[in-house]
Amino acid sequence: MRHWMRTALATAALGIALTVSAEADPFKIGYLLPNPVGELGWSYELDRGGRAIAEKFGDQVEVQFVNSLGEGPDATRVMNKMAADGVDMLVLGSFGYQQDGMKLAKRYPKLSVVHIGGYMNAPNFSTLTPRHYEAAYLCGMAAGMVTKSETLGVIAAFPLPEVLNVMNAYVLGAQSANANLKPVKVIWLNSWFDPAMEKASTESLASQGTDVVFSLFPGTPGPMAAAEQLGIYGTVTHSDNSKFAPTKHLCAGQLNFGPVMIKKVEEAMAGNFKGDDVFAGIADNAIAVAGLNKDLSDEQRAQILARQDEMRAGTFKPFTGPITSNQDKEAVPAGTSLDDGAIKGMNFLVKGIDTTIPK
Amino acid sequence: MMDALIFVLAGAFATATPLLFAALGELVVEKSGVLNLSVEGMMALSAAIAFMVTLQSGSHLVGFIAGAASGALLSAVFAVLVLGFMANQVAAGLAVGILGLGLSSLLGRSFEGATLLGIDKIAIPLLSEIPVLGKILFTQDIVVYVGIAATGLVAWFLYRTKAGLTLRVIGENPNTAHALGMRPVGVRFLAILFGGVMAGFAGAYASTVLTPLWSQDMIAGRGWIAVALVVFGTWRPGRVAVGAYLFGAVSLLGLALQAMGIGIPAQFMTCLPYVLTIVVLVAISADKVRVRLNAPAALGESYRAAS
Repeated sequence: MRHWMRTALATAALGIALTVSAEADPFKIGYLLPNPVGELGWSYELDRGGRAIAEKFGDQVEVQFVNSLGEGPDATRVMNKMAADGVDMLVLGSFGYQQDGMKLAKRYPKLSVVHIGGYMNAPNFSTLTPRHYEAAYLCGMAAGMVTKSETLGVIAAFPLPEVLNVMNAYVLGAQSANANLKPVKVIWLNSWFDPAMEKASTESLASQGTDVVFSLFPGTPGPMAAAEQLGIYGTVTHSDNSKFAPTKHLCAGQLNFGPVMIKKVEEAMAGNFKGDDVFAGIADNAIAVAGLNKDLSDEQRAQILARQDEMRAGTFKPFTGPITSNQDKEAVPAGTSLDDGAIKGMNFLVKGIDTTIPK
Repeated sequence: MMDALIFVLAGAFATATPLLFAALGELVVEKSGVLNLSVEGMMALSAAIAFMVTLQSGSHLVGFIAGAASGALLSAVFAVLVLGFMANQVAAGLAVGILGLGLSSLLGRSFEGATLLGIDKIAIPLLSEIPVLGKILFTQDIVVYVGIAATGLVAWFLYRTKAGLTLRVIGENPNTAHALGMRPVGVRFLAILFGGVMAGFAGAYASTVLTPLWSQDMIAGRGWIAVALVVFGTWRPGRVAVGAYLFGAVSLLGLALQAMGIGIPAQFMTCLPYVLTIVVLVAISADKVRVRLNAPAALGESYRAAS
């Protein structure tokens, strides 16, 4: 009898202890990135978004960072472990995590998953994609303003819709600022990652008269460093690369994942997480121009920033017709703007780009 | 147009230099009768180590020495396996190569994203002022000139010195060589080390001069191209050098043509250097008798000293 009492008491005490500790438990977030964080670029910016969460919520959240996590079995294992350990939210920073993330979202309905990029959705699985093209339009304006040879060059990896919309916005921006622009030269690397070829591409473009090169989703800061050495301007996505091109950094589309990430965390903590497609742009403070070169006059700078304000207010959309493709077909009719779906699925290049989409 | 041509032809030398160093090293190894397939791994490891050392010391020379030392060290592991334990050369080469790749990512990860300055190009007085040719041939960095000199030195060593003759005899028939009082194991060991040093220079050049930054998988198959160049160049240093420069020029030609907006599919341009290099080298080595004369007869066979 005494033995029974003791067990009951112990169980009750344990129960109380568990309840108390559960109340004090912080909101746990698993933050997974495929690459080392480095000093700038895609992974660095994503990591900065995670740090912003930790800073904003303090003791209320506990963010577990895992970087350099290879896609495949390693990622599956880490994710499953985190979900089994009762993590409340997962932020997945790579396309290769999508399938596993979706499986976990289905198995743990209380888990909230934010996946960067991608196309899948569930009530507790949302995607988050930055509007790189908005900043690219503004950097294009800067390029159109500074070019002397009226020849711009773009280095890009693969002709995916997300790359095409950034390239198009850049060229539309440049054309808006410079009516005499010659056809824009494009080099497709056919690789996400080949530092030697990234650098050689910059040299190749420069040797043919390009005086502003746009490094579109680069694997390395190589093209920016090469532009500095060659004395031509460099424009880049993801991060301000001024460090690598102190005098020739023209413009960057600086990502800022913090505000949108914090919004998703707030949703999840309040219990009303939405499995939506967040397409976050200038209006969400998710991206902005940065590192504008001092060679731009105050007036030019003001023009670029005014355009940025118009985008923030929603009064200017880069993909507003009439836009003609470089196959001379009407891509966007006059008076209409492309919707988000059409932007995400873009499959044409605008007139004035001197390349075809590799099939 | 002219500028694009100069870009392709002048840039070809720098692009080809890592291939040339690695291929010359592998050529000497294969001439001694040993097939070392770990070139890619040796290049990757030495690229990482040379980058780290150059970053810390601020000296490219020290970086190159460290790269060469790490290449030599890894090749010594291979040498112990194939000469000491009589391991299968193909399997041992692949294993050591994978070890090198793994070590390079392990060591290099913390240096990813850091950048170095390359080394300055040297304009040779007077010669560099010749129009067009001056910019192509006589405005290059020191390592490019060393690569050209190394081609001549390897050819001279193999075909004009007694030591070179010894090495070739061992590559043809180690048993006969041993009976004549030569030392196949010792000579092969030195040849393998030389291959490691050259692959080390190749990796160091790739990470500290050509790019210049380190990132995982930055060698991107160049070690394998070097191995292929030796075979398609029929084990002749001059032809191997021609193949390396051709490969460099054609890979840059793709970039130049794309920038001109010439409507050739980008994928085709990306594979063109591989296709064209193979076609040209097969064409110049079409004479089967001469190929057989140049190919080391004992290539890939383990040698056990008769006691």
